[in-house]
Amino acid sequence: MNEVMEKIERYQVPKKENLWQKTANLRTSILYLSPAIVLFSVFVFYPMFKTVYLSFFLTDARGNAALFVGLENYLYLFDSTSFKKSMKATWLFALYTVPSIVLISFFLALLANEKLRGIGFFRTIFTSTMGMSVAASAVIWLFLFHPTVGVLNTLLGYLGIRPIPWLLDSKWALVSIAITTIWMNIGFSFLIILGGLQNISQDLYESARIDGAGYFYQLFRITIPLLSPTLFFILIITFINSFQSFGQVDILTKGGPAEATNLIVYAIYQDAFINYQFGTASARAVILFFMVLGLTLLQFKFLEKKVHYQ
Amino acid sequence: MNWKKVALALLLVLVVMTVAACSKETQESPAQTEPKPAPVNEVVEIEFWHAMGGSLGEELNILVDDYNKSQDKVKVTAHYQGSYEELLTKFRTVGGTKNAPAVVQVFEVGTKYMIESGHITPVQDWVDRDNYDLSQLEENILSYYTVDGKLYSMPFNSSTPALFYNKDAFREVGLDPDNPPQTFNEITTIAALLTTSDRYGFSTIGHGWFFEQLLATQGANYVNENNGRTGDATEVLFNGPEGLKIFEWINDMHLAGTYGYFGRSWDDARAAFQAGQVAMYMDSSAATKALVENAPFDVGVTFIPYADDTERHGVIIGGASLWMANGISEAEQAAAWDFMKYLQTPSVQAKWHVNTGYFAINPQAYDDPLVQQEHEKYPQLRVPIDQLQATKKSTATQGALMTVFPEARQYVVTAFENMYQGMDPKAALNEAAELTNRALDIYHRTK
Repeated sequence: MNEVMEKIERYQVPKKENLWQKTANLRTSILYLSPAIVLFSVFVFYPMFKTVYLSFFLTDARGNAALFVGLENYLYLFDSTSFKKSMKATWLFALYTVPSIVLISFFLALLANEKLRGIGFFRTIFTSTMGMSVAASAVIWLFLFHPTVGVLNTLLGYLGIRPIPWLLDSKWALVSIAITTIWMNIGFSFLIILGGLQNISQDLYESARIDGAGYFYQLFRITIPLLSPTLFFILIITFINSFQSFGQVDILTKGGPAEATNLIVYAIYQDAFINYQFGTASARAVILFFMVLGLTLLQFKFLEKKVHYQ
Repeated sequence: MNWKKVALALLLVLVVMTVAACSKETQESPAQTEPKPAPVNEVVEIEFWHAMGGSLGEELNILVDDYNKSQDKVKVTAHYQGSYEELLTKFRTVGGTKNAPAVVQVFEVGTKYMIESGHITPVQDWVDRDNYDLSQLEENILSYYTVDGKLYSMPFNSSTPALFYNKDAFREVGLDPDNPPQTFNEITTIAALLTTSDRYGFSTIGHGWFFEQLLATQGANYVNENNGRTGDATEVLFNGPEGLKIFEWINDMHLAGTYGYFGRSWDDARAAFQAGQVAMYMDSSAATKALVENAPFDVGVTFIPYADDTERHGVIIGGASLWMANGISEAEQAAAWDFMKYLQTPSVQAKWHVNTGYFAINPQAYDDPLVQQEHEKYPQLRVPIDQLQATKKSTATQGALMTVFPEARQYVVTAFENMYQGMDPKAALNEAAELTNRALDIYHRTK
């Protein structure tokens, strides 16, 4: 018996480890993570904490934190009509764009997933908006919406419809920006959804056909469940994108008319870089952060249950 | 697939030829244009930041090149930094350091900010040192940039608003094209006559500048403390009876369907005017030449309208001026001063005025044959000059000074747009005043 214990002790890894040995794994992992940690700290975490810090201050004309005011910036925002308008516009904008982008790109992806002659051409066309910068696309739409030489109003004129004040009326401006955004984002969503569709095994459709399942039965029982991880991803990304839309607003309306398109990110930009009120701008940014965070958490909580992971 | 190879070969040849052609060009041109040997160690190199895009930027680069060629002591490098706002944001990060540009162009409403920034040397210091004769420059322009008797920056590109109208449309409805409307009421009456199913009688660009001008021409101050000229403004005055008169005047026309709004973009309003969709509108005098040249009809230019129950006080100078940074060496400041002086010479001003439509800061430029010729060809160019010279000097027409000006402008434009959407003129104007007062309040608390 003693012999056995001796042997065990001899071959056993010594139980007493010092701190250096204990943290070996941690140190290795930090070494591997360090490039990411450094980059994130410099470009994400530091600005984030600075933003939270600034949101409790009023800044002087040079943008330095000058006076600690506690929650005044937040209280002011929650009380201001312009902030309420901006919130309403942001939510309406998400409502206009997110479902449309997901549905339209899903529809286009279904079409482009059919095996037909020359389908490659259509796939290229449908993804083409992805290759355009926000600025370039917004300028194209600026000319389409132009009050004097705009193509859209000219076409409406041929049909005998009075010109629509696309970017000049507060009721139309948000719709116009939403149309631009939908057009811009379809390319990316289309590509991702098409990729998801092509990942679905053909065997499933074959056996379904043998069992006599029709097109729509296949669509709802095979395609959508198997595509749900992709759709979920696209939904979250589109939501976040819509909350962060900036370029098209800056180029098309500059937040006007009558603040109808003053989406929250644009309001932040105006506060910070035109008015030099970094305090209120930071408070807006913090509110935006919690909105996006909350929304993403909610989506994970409620929608993820319906997502079918293989 | 032989043709693919052929195509590739052709493409390669093309690329090689282009590259060769380009490098040849760059090799040859300096040899042709710069034969003079410059004393390298004595040249002071300075940077000049500006916000002149497009054709204005090209004109400015020509002036800078001319200056560099005219002497061999100073080399100015011009850098385009985007819009006035973007430029100011960039300057904030380097202001007061050695990396600051020696000369920086700042828009008129940034004047107060620049004075308080502590990153600049008042131009007056160099005027005194050099015994420079300021009386040769246009007094009405200098007065905007003079604070407490000190000239802080050198005026450079200055403009005022003017009323532009379509003479052909005037003839069409039987109005005298040489007798344009001068007062608010005359505009209202004539706008109604000029309005048809596809044309509005009157319009303004969605920019706070025009409201400031219409207020100034009534002799009213924008903010208290004598328009911020004798102390720090603490409260706005633009929502007084004069301001309300402007809002109600435009609202009446808007409700009557004779006023058209084409948004905040200057170009959209210009396009609408040139397309005949609006018969009269207010724009910057810097647009005069382009409008007269491009419009397919006869363009008339006149003074901006004034309220019927007051006399005409005139206009505030707009545009931008050149500031001298203070973190740099004295030699660089001297170079910057030399460059500023060069820009004010009559011949340079004549060229700048004729090619852009901005005022000549040095009125002697108007006697230059180049200008005389151009004024004969485009008599409309004279109108803004007459309007500026007829301006009565007061704190109202000198223009307001406050740090939060860019913010105030936004609130005023939003107030106009709220009114077009049906808000009561008085409520809209008061909202803008309240928001601007809050901005002023924050400025005072953080000073």
